[in-house]
Amino acid sequence: MSDTPSHGPVKSIMPKWVRGPQDFVGGVALIAIALFALWASSDLQGMRGFSFGAGTAPRMFAYLLLGLGVAVMVVGLLTEGTHLAKYHWRGPLFVSLAILSFALMIRPMGLIVTAFSSFLIAALGTPETKWTETIIVAVCLTAFCSLLFPYALGLPLQMLPKFMIR
Amino acid sequence: MGDVFSNLGLGFGVVFQLVQWTPAFLGGVSIPIPVNILLCLIGALVGTLVGVLPGIGTIATVAMLLPITFGLPPVGALIMLAGIYYGAQYGGSTTSILVNIPGEAGSVVTALDGFQMAKKGRAGPALAIAAIGSFFAGCVATVLIAVLGAPLTKLALAFGPAEYFSLMVLGLIFAVVLAKGSVLKAIAMIVFGLLLSMVGSDIETGASRMAFNIPELADGLGFATVAMGLFGFAEIIRNLDSGGEQDRQLVQQKVTGLMPTKKDLLDSTPAILRGTVLGSILGILPGGGAVIASFAAYTLEKKVSKHPQKFGHGVIEGVAAPESANNAAAQTSFIPLLTLGIPPNAVMALMVGAMTIHGIVPGPQVMQKQPDLVWGMIASMWVGNLMLLIINLPLVGIWVRLLRVPYRLMFPSIVVFCAIGIYSVNNAPTDVVLAGVFGLVGYWLIKHDFEPAPLLLGMVLGPLMEENLRRALLISRGDWSVFLTRPLSAVLMAIAAGLLVLAVLPSLRKKRDQVFVESEN
Repeated sequence: MSDTPSHGPVKSIMPKWVRGPQDFVGGVALIAIALFALWASSDLQGMRGFSFGAGTAPRMFAYLLLGLGVAVMVVGLLTEGTHLAKYHWRGPLFVSLAILSFALMIRPMGLIVTAFSSFLIAALGTPETKWTETIIVAVCLTAFCSLLFPYALGLPLQMLPKFMIR
Repeated sequence: MGDVFSNLGLGFGVVFQLVQWTPAFLGGVSIPIPVNILLCLIGALVGTLVGVLPGIGTIATVAMLLPITFGLPPVGALIMLAGIYYGAQYGGSTTSILVNIPGEAGSVVTALDGFQMAKKGRAGPALAIAAIGSFFAGCVATVLIAVLGAPLTKLALAFGPAEYFSLMVLGLIFAVVLAKGSVLKAIAMIVFGLLLSMVGSDIETGASRMAFNIPELADGLGFATVAMGLFGFAEIIRNLDSGGEQDRQLVQQKVTGLMPTKKDLLDSTPAILRGTVLGSILGILPGGGAVIASFAAYTLEKKVSKHPQKFGHGVIEGVAAPESANNAAAQTSFIPLLTLGIPPNAVMALMVGAMTIHGIVPGPQVMQKQPDLVWGMIASMWVGNLMLLIINLPLVGIWVRLLRVPYRLMFPSIVVFCAIGIYSVNNAPTDVVLAGVFGLVGYWLIKHDFEPAPLLLGMVLGPLMEENLRRALLISRGDWSVFLTRPLSAVLMAIAAGLLVLAVLPSLRKKRDQVFVESEN
């Protein structure tokens, strides 16, 4: 893959004794997930005699993940590995915002407005966007989706904003 | 043998089924329409349409298009999905050959020689051989599924919960060993997936598990939601990272002369045969799937070739072998799914997701209770391959034009399309937000070199594994040794353990990495 981080001497925020920061952080995150799952399933019933309670399997998998997380972390500590990849904020931020706004708007505003505005928000995700063509494409896509989903696929989607239907 | 033919006959009967359509404007005249064939055709077309977009792999394509099949009856939906799957795969190879951006690991090797051929102005024959090879492989694999289907189903019916659990463990281990990258991290991803599958209500007691009183989580994490997030949104975000406009070395010459020459055909015939055999075998293995098959076929072809030095400079065998293997494996990987109910790879996991949404639990019972569904799907695979051959080749010009659409316009469209798709599954805005969250999780996983595919597999197998584990232990009265004392289960467990040990041994690990490194030199 083109964005695999390089082995080069990149400045790292990790202390020197962490030799493979990528795996180290990955392992720590897995441990965190496992601990969270253990906490979240702590209210569930455990084994009742021979049979599993509701909480047995979740806890089993959580402990397993905990162990694997520790193993990944130790590998990251002991073996020379890749540095942390560079994160970008622009793409993830605007794509997430577009998804979030879609979720918030679809009920009150209907498909047409929502699809159009989400398209424009997502388009902010790259500096290469040229607005005239983006708006033209957004209009076309909105029109296409408002024909495809409700009519061609027969999905019950509300088209117009609520206040316009009354 | 008679069984095989009658089963296939049933299947083709389903596929070619005519539905009388009586539109009002014709005044009562009814027109027979082959609905299932049309669905297969539309699926193949749409699958290619999305699969051809650079940077979108087969799994992402199937995940994105999953919602459009929800409104259909089960048989039609599955037939359409199978069409989408083949279309997506073929679209992926088109992208590899013409732009040198393989959408997924499976077509990486196709890009090696395919793109070189395209550069020399021979994109047409490369695409044609890819389609012909795939079609041939598809025909063989269809027959293979028909032959192996019934006996394997009988075997599966003899399985108890302990055997099932062991088989799933074996399948997951296979998936880890045959996949790319670190074994430890892949296992971690599987367990993460298993853990995610625990969200929702407990099958026996109905107790709500890790749902935090969110009503949308009460039934568990939606499978389509997670898949769309991990593969759809995460891919989009990752592609944005590399600056959207990656240097696309799109072949600028017009694609002319589709037909391969006589020499091309002669050269590629043995390669297609070898690729088909290798692919069919590797596809049946759980976890094998299309990726390893195409790599292995390319390596084999290079080994047996009289002129191995020419590989990588545009030889037609280098396209024919991996493409046939790819398609054969893609098809035979339906065998474990249909007979045992165990998805061997992430795409099949998506298929299970789709079946569950239609209320079908894949497994040996389906084969017996709903034979029209299973055999219809198998027959539709063959039809789907035929569609690709006769429809996609003439449309190559359109696919090439699609490749010229700049990413800056493409990605917002995909975001909106996916969002509508997820929303339409349950009409739940929460699902859209969850998919977004999983998009970020997927982005993080990619950045840390974790493969998301095993996670998906774990998530699908999670409930099945828990159920069988619970039942096995209940029957054995809490005795864990049941997995080792029942002979069949013990054998499966032993193979799993052996595989795991082998995978970690340094010498074999080197060899395994070598197969994947092939693409880089």
